[in-house]
Amino acid sequence: MISRLKNDFLIPTTFIFIILALFPLIGAPRNWILYAFLFFIYLAMANMWNLLAGYSGLISLCQPAFLGLAGYAMTIGTWIGIPWWIGMTGGAIIAAFFAFLLSRAVFRLSGIYFAIGTLVVPEALRMIFYLWKPVGGAMHGAGAGYMLKGIEGVSQNTIFWLAAIVGIGSVYLIRIIIRSKLGLGLSSIRDNQRTAASIGINVFRVKLYTFLISAFVTGLAGAIYYLNQGYIEPSATFNVRWTMIMLLATVIGGIRTEEGPIIGTIIIVILYFALARYAGYSFLIQGIILILIMLISPEGIMGIIKKFLLFAKR
Amino acid sequence: MVNQVLLKISNIDVFHGTFQALWDISIEVRTGEMLALIGSNTSGKTTLMDTISGLLHPVKGMMEFNGVDITCLDPYQIVELGITQVPEGRRIFPDMTVLDNLMIGSYCSCARSTRKQNLIRVYELFPKLEERRKQIAKTLSGGEQQMLAIGRGLMADPKLMLIDEMSLGLAPIIIDELFKALKKIRERGITILFVEQNVKRTLEEADKAYIFENGRVTLSGSSAELYEKKQVKKAYFGIDECEI
Amino acid sequence: MNDILTPILMGIMLGGLYALISLGLSLLFGVMRFINLAHGDFVILGSYLGYGILTYFGFDPVIGLVISVPLMFGLGFLIQKYLMSRAFEVSSDTPLIIAFGLSLIIQNANQIAWTPLSRGINTGYSNASFFIGSLQFPVVYLLDLLVGILVMLLLREFLTRTYLGRAITAASQDKKAAELMGINSKRVYGYAFAIAMALTAIGGVFLGMTFPFTPTSGISFLTIAFGTVIIGGLGSMWGTFIGGIILGVMQTLGGYFFGPASQMLVVYLIVLIILAVRPQGLFGR
Repeated sequence: MISRLKNDFLIPTTFIFIILALFPLIGAPRNWILYAFLFFIYLAMANMWNLLAGYSGLISLCQPAFLGLAGYAMTIGTWIGIPWWIGMTGGAIIAAFFAFLLSRAVFRLSGIYFAIGTLVVPEALRMIFYLWKPVGGAMHGAGAGYMLKGIEGVSQNTIFWLAAIVGIGSVYLIRIIIRSKLGLGLSSIRDNQRTAASIGINVFRVKLYTFLISAFVTGLAGAIYYLNQGYIEPSATFNVRWTMIMLLATVIGGIRTEEGPIIGTIIIVILYFALARYAGYSFLIQGIILILIMLISPEGIMGIIKKFLLFAKR
Repeated sequence: MVNQVLLKISNIDVFHGTFQALWDISIEVRTGEMLALIGSNTSGKTTLMDTISGLLHPVKGMMEFNGVDITCLDPYQIVELGITQVPEGRRIFPDMTVLDNLMIGSYCSCARSTRKQNLIRVYELFPKLEERRKQIAKTLSGGEQQMLAIGRGLMADPKLMLIDEMSLGLAPIIIDELFKALKKIRERGITILFVEQNVKRTLEEADKAYIFENGRVTLSGSSAELYEKKQVKKAYFGIDECEI
Repeated sequence: MNDILTPILMGIMLGGLYALISLGLSLLFGVMRFINLAHGDFVILGSYLGYGILTYFGFDPVIGLVISVPLMFGLGFLIQKYLMSRAFEVSSDTPLIIAFGLSLIIQNANQIAWTPLSRGINTGYSNASFFIGSLQFPVVYLLDLLVGILVMLLLREFLTRTYLGRAITAASQDKKAAELMGINSKRVYGYAFAIAMALTAIGGVFLGMTFPFTPTSGISFLTIAFGTVIIGGLGSMWGTFIGGIILGVMQTLGGYFFGPASQMLVVYLIVLIILAVRPQGLFGR
């Protein structure tokens, strides 16, 4: 038991998380707080992508739809007098409901079909939000670009801690899911979908649950992101950029591992700011990194670490 | 010419991923022979065929064909050297015509110059294929599909033909016809290594046989010898006779 | 009555273009069971190549194909040889993720080279039109249809009559059997990818003459190509053509009824509905 605890990454990680979460109280520089904020948001999203792609075999390319819908629900809510925190939770629920509707369409698809079916969704949503202006007073860019209304009373620290809760929570959530009955179902699906079905695991339902959970948490993280940004507009929201962040963080760190997204997100945030000067080349560089990692070490950094540990033990 | 070693397999181990499918297999095929592999399903016969064809590679041991080391060669190189396989389940190209299937058989550069002669010979052997040369392959009957698969193999102008489960799912009359064709193929000087489920029939047709169990060769010898062996009688004919 | 005839006829002609940009995707799927997620971006790269050749060298983009087709052919061969062939050995998800990375690389490279502004290939005949009865149509749309049919026929001849074409067909019907017939599958895959990319270059040029495009247009045309292929059913060339026409007509009718801004939305929705209801395609088995 003790040795198991010793090896558990959660303890040192929690420690780091607590320090990060205390940034605003210890008077850390403003941009440090911003890094930490983005770290928590991206971490939650990467964890949810890993849950889908790594543990359930669903290469989902529609995550921007979830975070965008939640962000929009919250924003539109503030325009019609719904408090932001209800809009935020409601938005995440809407994202999960949308995932439920979407699952009817895309869950019959496998592999690459699923990937393309989901890839189309944010594109379609972006067009809808270009055409449809749910409330008056659009600003920011083409289509439905809105400021959040009446959030002046929300302090920066509140938003930061919300992000911290969602980010840290996502790590524990993954742990709980993996150790639960759902996780058992997932690991048997990962090993062999047909065998899993034949031993009485409802493959469809297990995948649906992970899809809904992932949509909810991604939506929550998205809403918090837009709460911080203060405005939302369709082209940057329903954007493949988000998918790239989650995918890259997970792949760099190590897909199908609990630690992977944490390590990957740290690297992504560092990369993000190191490359800020070359913003125009950002996708180019990220794409090259993604391809190199996939070819050199498809299990990411965790794969390298595990190999090293195995080697060291001998 | 006869009795010269054509294919020599020495002590090979073959894996499917992490599962070891063949253990220390050694086999010799001499020019002009008709040789059989016998064994239950998953005993490793098809694995051996695929290894000879280069679809799988042994992790240990060596394979030599006509004095050339073929252990690490890819399938297309193996075909160039003169080994073709008529795979289990026939695996003809379903949406192509019969003629196009045969043409693909002579894809390798070694067979392109002799294509016309080979086509005439295949048609001599299986006149039905000539009748149906413009038909789409998947519309053929099972027996005709098997003829096409064998014909397609012959188009590559092989020295050694590997034939996997030729009679699977076919009527006895057609099986007789196919074995007659194999005899003719052999008379042309083509060496044959084949896999069959029907042990009795196999021993009647083959000169020699290797018996496989769980990825190892447990017995080998001339057909007449094996026919008399107690183990073979017990393991195979006991069941065979009951079935009939 | 005549009003609605115009979008229908235009949609049919667009179908030629859509079949043209789908051929590469369909070929690759047939041979390697792989849907190239970066396909749309390669099409757009083809459009930019045509645009660049016209802008900087003053060649008509159709003549410019003499340059861009070999260029894309070579690029395709290299991508297969150095990226995809390795990716297939790692796991079944790897090619997909690598294609996603490629897609973003090409998008970004196009953006750096040509800015994010919308471009179009404007030739002397871009604004020319012809009449059917009293209805007026752009000449470019007719070109789309004719070139679509021509390239399709040429590809079919290639696949049934040449050594390499037959090998590609054989490999797409049964890879193992093809290898046993002495077909070098690695080489066939390399050429298949190269040919798919060459087709993409052709499709890109005609696309660029028909529609304005930006570096991020790739996803739209991946969706159209994918939709065309699944509606038509895989492996059937005439099916692909019919799929293209269905999507083309839906798009122009969508524009006619709901305004031009929503025509792509109609296409997306149709693709999603078909995926949900009949992923094997309308004409698939």
